Amino acid sequence: MTAPTDRDLIVRARRGDGDAFSELVTRYQTNVFNVCYRILHERGEAEDLAQETFLRAYHRLEQFDLEREFGPWVRRVAANLCLNRLESQKVTAPLDEERDADESQRPEKQVEVRERSEQVRGALASLPTRYRVVVELRHYQEMSYDEIAAELKLPVSDVKSHLFRARKLLAEKLHAPD
Amino acid sequence: MHLTDDQLNEYLDNESSERAQIVSHIASCTDCAARLTALQTLFAELDSLPELELTHSLAARFTAQGQLPPQLPRWLTLTATLQAALALIVLAAAAPFVMNLLPVIETPSLTEIFLQMQSQWLTLYNTITNYQLPVLPSFPPLQIPTLTLSLTLAGASLLWLVGNGLLLRKQIK
Repeated sequence: MTAPTDRDLIVRARRGDGDAFSELVTRYQTNVFNVCYRILHERGEAEDLAQETFLRAYHRLEQFDLEREFGPWVRRVAANLCLNRLESQKVTAPLDEERDADESQRPEKQVEVRERSEQVRGALASLPTRYRVVVELRHYQEMSYDEIAAELKLPVSDVKSHLFRARKLLAEKLHAPD
Repeated sequence: MHLTDDQLNEYLDNESSERAQIVSHIASCTDCAARLTALQTLFAELDSLPELELTHSLAARFTAQGQLPPQLPRWLTLTATLQAALALIVLAAAAPFVMNLLPVIETPSLTEIFLQMQSQWLTLYNTITNYQLPVLPSFPPLQIPTLTLSLTLAGASLLWLVGNGLLLRKQIK
C-alpha cells in the first residue's frame, strides 16, 4: 500500500483528521526546525517556533493552494514566524554544540563533516541578523531577489547588498588561511 | 577589466541579465574564474549543510489531540465576514432614519414617580379601610316536629347498627 500524498493528508487534515496532520508534521518537522534554527541559532527557541509553525499552518490550511507543494509553503511560514520573532527581540544566544543528522559516513569522515558543519554554522551565527535572514531566504528557501525584497519589505538593491556582504563575510571566516 | 563581486553573485544566483558576457569573460580570465570557483565552494558548503535532528517529535501533539477542529471553507469564512461587515454598515446608515421614526418617549422624573406611587398607596388604603362585608341572604327557619326528628334519628341509628353487623359478620363468627 502506497503512502498517502501530501495532498491527501491535507484534504483529510482540513476535515479535522489529527492523524493526517500529524503525518504531515512528521514529514516536514526536521525541515521546519532547521529553518528556525538557521535563523534563530537557539535550539529551544527553534523547537518552539517549529511547533508554532505547524499550529499556524493548520489554522491556515484552508487557504493553502493544493496545486502548490506543502514543503516550501510550510518552510515559508516558519521563516515568517522567525522574522517576526527577530523583529520583536534580539536573539544573541551563542551557538551550542549540535549533532548533525548525516551519520552515513566513516567515523573520521563524520568527524570531519561535523567539524566543518560546525564551522559553517558558527560562521552563519556570527552574521548580523539581517544578513543571516537573507542567506536563509536565498539559499534554503530558494527565493529570488524580488521575492526576498517583497518578503522583507526592502528594496532589491538592499537585498543584494546584504546577501553579497554576507557571502563575503562567510568566505572570509571559512576560507581564511590558518 | 575584471568582473565585479556583484556580477559573480548574480550569475550564480541565476539573476544576471548578462550571462553570456560573464561566461565568455570567465573562459579567458583565470582571476575571475578562481573567484567564481571560490564563491561556488561557499554555495556548496551552505547548500550541503546537514540538517539537525529534533530532540523530540512535534507530531505527538497533533496525534494526541486525535480529532482536530475541522477547517471552515475559506469562502464561508469570507462570506460570514462580509455579511457581518455589511450588516454593520447598513445598521450605521439606517440608524438616523430609525431614530426619526421612533416615538418620543417621555420619561417621568423621580418626584413624579414618587407622587404617583403615593397616590396609588392612598387609594389602596382607602379601599381597605372602607371595605364592608357583604350581607348574606337570610334563610327561612326550618320547622321539624320533634316526633319526626326522633324517628328519623332512631331509623338512622338502626341502619348504622345493621350495616356494621353485616360488615363485621365474619369477624364476629
